[in-house]
Amino acid sequence: MKAEKLILSFIATLFGLLVAGLAFYAFQATKTIAPLRTKTISIVSSSPTPTPTIFLTVDRPKDEEVVNNKTVIISGKTTSNAVIVVITASFQDVITPALNGDFATTVSIDDGQNVIQIISIAPNGESITIKKTVTYSQEEF
Amino acid sequence: MYKKILSFLLLVTCYLLAPRSLGEVGLLVNVAQAATPTPQDKTQEIRDQLITNIASRVAQLKLVEKRGIIGKVTDVTNTQITVDLQNNTRFVDVDELTKFSSSYSKGTYGISDITKDTTVGILGLYNKESRRILARFVNVITIPFIIHGGVAAIDSENFSINITTEEGKQMIVNIENLTRTYSYTQKAGYLRSGFSKIKDNYNIIVMGILDTKDKNKMVATRVIFFPEIPASPKVNSMLNKVNKSPQ
Repeated sequence: MKAEKLILSFIATLFGLLVAGLAFYAFQATKTIAPLRTKTISIVSSSPTPTPTIFLTVDRPKDEEVVNNKTVIISGKTTSNAVIVVITASFQDVITPALNGDFATTVSIDDGQNVIQIISIAPNGESITIKKTVTYSQEEF
Repeated sequence: MYKKILSFLLLVTCYLLAPRSLGEVGLLVNVAQAATPTPQDKTQEIRDQLITNIASRVAQLKLVEKRGIIGKVTDVTNTQITVDLQNNTRFVDVDELTKFSSSYSKGTYGISDITKDTTVGILGLYNKESRRILARFVNVITIPFIIHGGVAAIDSENFSINITTEEGKQMIVNIENLTRTYSYTQKAGYLRSGFSKIKDNYNIIVMGILDTKDKNKMVATRVIFFPEIPASPKVNSMLNKVNKSPQ
């Protein structure tokens, strides 16, 4: 008797849930939304920032370096097809790097502080500039 | 029986006391030795002192190094100069040993003569810990102005060219008789050239002196242009912006 009651109540619950589910489905299927209440969202992917086609690293000289020689070696690495311009207050030189991008040259510097500008220019005109301050001094302190 | 116990206790006492008295004797001997150091000890002491001094000096030398900087003065006091190095502020200490000079002044020059916005070259000792420079030489200097960009326009009548940089800066460059012009091509290399060879949209580098009255004008002392390399795409986009903007 008890088992029968239990089975009956289970079937009744199941039936109730089925009816409720069907009613909800029917309600959702027949539901209409006014066009004014709808909103269209479009996700626009941002354009990627253009990556520079050129790079430049200068190993020598060190910035703010004090030297006791008027000839300074400039060396570093850049894009292999770039043109490198080295400029000081009284000197300028245009060089091309090796196939692996390595470059090296020597520049003459003046007494005191010198600003050495190393400019690497790519064939498409893009460029990178690195400035180094090198001081010539033989003062002991 | 008592005698045996007593002798046993005496023996134990003697045994316990013996090392202490020996140690005391040793200590006395040590004290006596310390009071009269031998030549070997003196040498050792000097050696230790020397090692300490050298180590201290080496540490000092590693902490301090010679450095030379160029910057624009933003503030001056009697003991300190604040210098701006391309948006990097540096504090420079000055003392009685610091020497001041200026190419514009023939007489004596001192810290009181240095004013704000002066470009100075400083040579001194940089302390890595405090990140300050103890100046030994402070010179008022002029650094040449260098501009790199693309040729936007050429005025053949007035011998001037208009240059636009990647940042969108416009500069009118006057070519004078003293201006040395060079060109660079892959085939011909680096050659002496002239104003007439410069064309629109060439990649160009100009060194010279800024006009004191108009910051958008300069007199060129050296020009290097690249006939094979066009102006940077950024320069062209800047030029388009300038041309599109309403006058």
